[in-house]
Amino acid sequence: MKNIFTKIIQPQRRFRPFTWDVIIMILLVILLVFGSILNPVFLTAFNFSLMLPNIGEILLIAMPMTLLIIAGEIDLSVASIVGLSGVTFGLLYERGLNIWLAAFLGVIVGVLCGAVNGILVARVGLGSLAVTIATLALFRGFATAAMGNKSVTDFPESWTNFGYSTIGKTFLPQTYPLIIFFIILFGILTHLSIFGRRTFAIGQSVEAARFAAISVLNHKIILFILTGAMSGVAGVIYVLRISTAQYDNAMGLELSVIATALLGGVSIFGGVGTIWGVAAAAVLFGSLEALFNLQAVSPNIFTITTGTLLIGSVMIPLLLGRINRFRIDRIRENEKNAK
Amino acid sequence: MIQKIAAFQTTNFKINAKTLLRRRESGILMVLVLVSVATTLINPRFISGYGLSDLLLNTSMVGCLAVGLTPVVIARHIDLSIASATGFSAFLTAHIIVGHGWGVVPAFFVGACVGAIIGAVNGVLVAGLRLPSLVVTLGALYIIRGIDYQFANNKQFTAEKLPTDLMHLSQDKIYGVPYLFCLVLLLALFGVWWMRFTRFGRDLYAIGSNPPAADIVGIKVFSRTFFAFVWCGTLAGIAGVMYLSIYAIVDSAAFLNQELIVVTAVVIGGVNIFGGLGTIVGALLGAVLLRVLIGALVALGVAQFWQQAINGLLLLIAIGIDRILSRRSETKIERIRDERKMEIS
Amino acid sequence: MAQASKATTSRALFEILGAYKHFGGAIALNHADFTLRAGEIHALLGENGAGKSTLLKVLAGVHTLDGGTITLDGKPFIQGSPRMAMSQGVTVIYQEPSLFPDLTLAENVFIGRQLRNKTGINWSEMRAQAKALFDELGVDLDPSRIARGLSIADQQVVEIAKALSLDAQIILMDEPTAALTKSEVNRLMLVMRRLQEKGKSVVFVSHRLDEVFAVCDQITVMRDGSTVAQSKVSDSTINDVIKWMVGRELKDLYPKMESKIGDVALEVNGLSSASEFANISLKVRHGEIVALAGLVGSGRSEVARAIFGIDSYDSGSVKLNGKILPGGKPGISVASGLALVPEDRRQQGLFMQASVSRNIATEMLDKLAKFGLVSQRSENSLTQEWGKKLQIKYPNPKAPVDQLSGGNQQKTVLAKWFATNPDVLIVDEPTRGIDVQTKAEFHRQLSQAAASGKAILMISSELPEVLGMADRIYVMHEGRLVKELSRKDATQELIMTAATGQGRGES
Repeated sequence: MKNIFTKIIQPQRRFRPFTWDVIIMILLVILLVFGSILNPVFLTAFNFSLMLPNIGEILLIAMPMTLLIIAGEIDLSVASIVGLSGVTFGLLYERGLNIWLAAFLGVIVGVLCGAVNGILVARVGLGSLAVTIATLALFRGFATAAMGNKSVTDFPESWTNFGYSTIGKTFLPQTYPLIIFFIILFGILTHLSIFGRRTFAIGQSVEAARFAAISVLNHKIILFILTGAMSGVAGVIYVLRISTAQYDNAMGLELSVIATALLGGVSIFGGVGTIWGVAAAAVLFGSLEALFNLQAVSPNIFTITTGTLLIGSVMIPLLLGRINRFRIDRIRENEKNAK
Repeated sequence: MIQKIAAFQTTNFKINAKTLLRRRESGILMVLVLVSVATTLINPRFISGYGLSDLLLNTSMVGCLAVGLTPVVIARHIDLSIASATGFSAFLTAHIIVGHGWGVVPAFFVGACVGAIIGAVNGVLVAGLRLPSLVVTLGALYIIRGIDYQFANNKQFTAEKLPTDLMHLSQDKIYGVPYLFCLVLLLALFGVWWMRFTRFGRDLYAIGSNPPAADIVGIKVFSRTFFAFVWCGTLAGIAGVMYLSIYAIVDSAAFLNQELIVVTAVVIGGVNIFGGLGTIVGALLGAVLLRVLIGALVALGVAQFWQQAINGLLLLIAIGIDRILSRRSETKIERIRDERKMEIS
Repeated sequence: MAQASKATTSRALFEILGAYKHFGGAIALNHADFTLRAGEIHALLGENGAGKSTLLKVLAGVHTLDGGTITLDGKPFIQGSPRMAMSQGVTVIYQEPSLFPDLTLAENVFIGRQLRNKTGINWSEMRAQAKALFDELGVDLDPSRIARGLSIADQQVVEIAKALSLDAQIILMDEPTAALTKSEVNRLMLVMRRLQEKGKSVVFVSHRLDEVFAVCDQITVMRDGSTVAQSKVSDSTINDVIKWMVGRELKDLYPKMESKIGDVALEVNGLSSASEFANISLKVRHGEIVALAGLVGSGRSEVARAIFGIDSYDSGSVKLNGKILPGGKPGISVASGLALVPEDRRQQGLFMQASVSRNIATEMLDKLAKFGLVSQRSENSLTQEWGKKLQIKYPNPKAPVDQLSGGNQQKTVLAKWFATNPDVLIVDEPTRGIDVQTKAEFHRQLSQAAASGKAILMISSELPEVLGMADRIYVMHEGRLVKELSRKDATQELIMTAATGQGRGES
C-alpha cells in the first residue's frame, strides 16, 4: 500500500515545475545582471531614482489587486478610482481645505468606490468583470463631471517634492518608504495572516470555504474596499508626482496593474499568487523600461515585451504542466509494464 | 389512449425564449425611441435628417465592432485587443494602400486581412491552447499597440494622401443612410444568419451556455471558438478602414483605449458577459443607444463631462436587469419546490 | 402482466456474462451477469456500492470491463466510448441532466444535429419535430421555451426525447426519480410505458421499490459487485427484494466501543425548510453515535447543512448543549463546538489545490495565530500531530491534498474537524469511496471519539455501517423522519422498509 503511494507521489515532486513567480524572479535577476553588463549606468542610483517613481502607483494598487484576483474576483475600475480620488484631493485643496484633510478625503473616496464595487459584486451578486467595467466609466465620469477640462496644479512645494524627489542623496524616492511599508504589510497580510489564508481558501473553492465557516461575501467586500483604499492612496500620490490633478489622471492604468499581477504569477482563475512575485514583476517592468530607455530602444518594444510576457505568464506554466503530466504518465506506464 | 400529461411548470410560467429575447431587444428599442422623442421635444434639431444620418455614421465603427465581438462573448470569451486591432488595421491599411495607390475595395480587403490574422492568433491561443481569453487578449492588446507605435513611428496619413474615394465613402448615403452604416448592416445580416441559422453559430451558443456539456455532446469547440475570434478580428480590421474614411487622418494613437466602450455596447445590447445569451441585433442596438445618449446629452445641453458617468450607469442598469431576469426564473424553481413540500406534508 | 410475459419471450438485447471491473484495489464488479430483453422495463437494484452504477457506466461507454463479455443483439458490444455507445443505440438519462440552459428545448433535443433546409436551420420544422416527440412521450412541453428554469423532471423528458430522436433502442435511467416529486414520478412512469409501447428497452435504477413494482417487468439485484437474483417482477415480492439486497453479512468491521452516554449535546426541534425537509426533531447525546439512515435524496444532507448553518431554515430550532444556535451562521456553530464532515470531500470538504497542512489548519487559524499571524511551522506541527493520530499518509505537509488517496483525503477532513475538539460531530457519508482498510480505521476513530464523550450524528447509506456503528438510528424518507430504532431492535430489513416508504401503511 505504502509502496504504491510513494511511487505515485514522488515523480510529481521530482518534476514539479518552477512556479511562475520563481521564474519571474529569475528573469529579474538575469535582467539586472545583463543590464549592468550592457550599460554601466543601468544599476546606478540615478537610474533607479528615475525608474522607481514610475512604478509606484502600480505597486500600490497591484498589492490589493493580487489578493482580489487570488479570491477569484477582479477590479477594472482602479484607474478611475485613482482619477476620482486625485480630483477630489485637488478640488478640495483648491477650495481652501487643509491639504492633509483633502488628501485624507481623497483616500476616503477610494474606500467608498471600493465599497460600491464590493456591494454590487457580493451583495447584489453581479459579475465583477462587468460591474467594474461599468464603474470604470462611472467613477471616471464623476471625475470628469467634477473637474471638467481644467486642472489643479498649485500644490505646495513640500508636497510635490514628496511626489518626485528622492530622500536626501539616496536613489530612493520619498514615496518609497510608504510604498515599501505597504508591500510588507500586504506581504504579511497575504502570506502570514488569517485573512490571507481565508482569501486563498475562497479563491480555491467558494463552496469548500462556506463549509469551512468562512463568511465569503463579507470577505470579498473587504477585499474590494482594500483595493479602493489603495487606489485612493495611489490617486493622491499620482497627483503629487505629476503636480497635477485632472480628470484623466492614470487613464488606462488598470491594464498595467492587472498585467503586473498576472505577470507576477497570480492565476486569473484564483487561488494562486504571491506578493513577492507581483512586486518582482513590477520591478521587472520598471527595470526593463529603464534599460530600454538607456539603450535608446523604442518604448514600443517595451510595450510589445509586456504583452508577450503576459501571454507567456499563462502559456509557460500550462506547457510545463503538460510536459510534467506527460512524464508522469510515462513513468506510470513503465511501472505497469514492469509488472 | 394517449392522453396528454401536463408538464410541470409550463403552465405556471411560460418563458418563451423568443419572446424573452424579443423583450430585451424591444426594450432597448423602446428606450431608444423614448430618448429620441424626449430629446426632440426639447430640442427639435436633434432628430432632423442631418442629425440622424450623422448619428448612424458615428455608430458605424462601434456598431461594427459590437457585431464582431458578440459571437466571442456568446461563446463565454472576451477580446480586449479589439480596439488595438482597429487602430493597427487603420494605420497599416493606410500605409499599404497609399503605397500602392489602391482604392476603396482593396482597402477593405487589406483591413479585413490584417484583422483576421490578429483574430487567428488570438483564436489559436484561446481555443487551441485553452488559455484564458482575458489574459491572452490583454497581452495581444499590448503587443499590437507596441507594433503599431513602432511601425507608425510618429508618422501620420492625412486626407491629402489617402484615396479620395475612401474619403467620400463616409459622406455618401442611400436614403440618408451612410454607406458605412449599410456595410455594418450587411455584416450584421450575415452575423444574424450565421448565429441563428447555421449549426456553426448555434454551437457557439451551446459552448457559452454550458461548456462541459458542449464537449460531451461532441461540439467542435476548437474550430467554433477559433472562427469566432477570426470573425471578431476581421470586423475590427474593417472598422479600422472605416476609421480612415470617417476621420480622414490616422496615426498610431487611432482608436486608443476604446475596447471597453465596445464591451459596454455589447452588454447593454443584452449579450450576457457570461456567455450563451444575446443577439447581434441587440448588440448593434446597444451601440446605437450609446451613441444616441451622447447625442441627446449634447442636444439637451448637459455638460459633455457627464457622458461617461451615464455610460457607466447604463451598463450597471443593464447587468442589473439581466440579474433580475435570471433571479426571477430561479424563484420560479423555488415555487416548484413548494409544490414538493406540499406533497411531503 | 401481459406485457411482462411478452417481454420474457422476446429476444435478448444486452447479454452480460461474468463482468469484472476493479478500480485500484476496490472490486466494483465481481462476475456480474445481466440480461436485457427487447421491449422490457428492467429494474437494476442494490444498495449503494453494489455495483449498479459501474455496470450502467460500462453500458454507457464510460468504463471498460477488465473481464467478461457483453453482447448487444448477438454482436459484441464496443465498449469505452460514450459516442460509440450512442451509435450502438444506447443512451443514458442521468439523475440531473446537463442541458444548455440558454437554448430552446427544441434545440436541446437536436443539439449538434439541428435540422436544416436550403437557407440554414429550419426552426419551425425543428420545433414541430420536438413537439411531436414530446407528444409521443405524452408530455405537454413547449419546444420553443428555453431550458433555464426547467424542472429536473422536464429536463429528463427532454433528454428522453433526444434519445428517441437519435433512434436509441436502449435507454438507461440512473436513479431518475431520486430528485422528483410524486406526481413527477408518476409522469415518468407513464413515459417509460410509452417507451415500452414503442418497442424500446429501459433499464431503470431506483431505490424506491414501490416504483419498481409499479412499472418494471424484470428485476436484477446486485450485491457486492455480483448478481444475486434475477427474477420477473410478477414472481417476487417487495420483501424478497429487500432480502436479496441486504443479504450482506455483518463482518467484524465495526470496532464499536462501549461509551458512557451522557446529556443531550445536540437537540433539533421541528426543523423545516420549504423544499427540502419538514418537522425534523432529533437528539444526540454525549458519547452516542446516532445514524441518520435513508435513501439518497431523502433530505439527510440538507438537514445536516441546515443544522450546521450552511443553509438557512424556515422554522424550528437547533440547540447545542442547551444553547440555541442562530440559523445560517456556520462560524458561530463552529465556535460553539459543532463540526460537519460534508458528503462531497472534493467539492466541500477540502481545498484540493492547497497543502495538507493548510487544509488541516483551516479551522484552527484563530488558535494558531499570534497577533493575527499564522506561521507555517505551527500549521505543520498541527498537521504532524493529527497526521500521526489518524495515520494519514502524506509525502510532506506542503504536498497538495489532491495528491492523496481518497481515504487519506477523508482522514484529512476528519483531522481538520477533530483538531477543533468539537462536542458534536456530524459526518455525512464518511466512508464513501474508501478502501476497506481505511474504512475500518475510520470507524475506529469515530468509535473512539464517541467513547471520549463526543456526540456523533452519522449520515450513511450503507446499512452494515449504520447497524455496526450506531447506538440509535433515525430513518428518513422523503424529507421526514419516519422511524427511530434502537441498536438492539434494528435490522437491515426494518431500515430498508422504512427508508423505501413501505412501513408507512402499517404504522
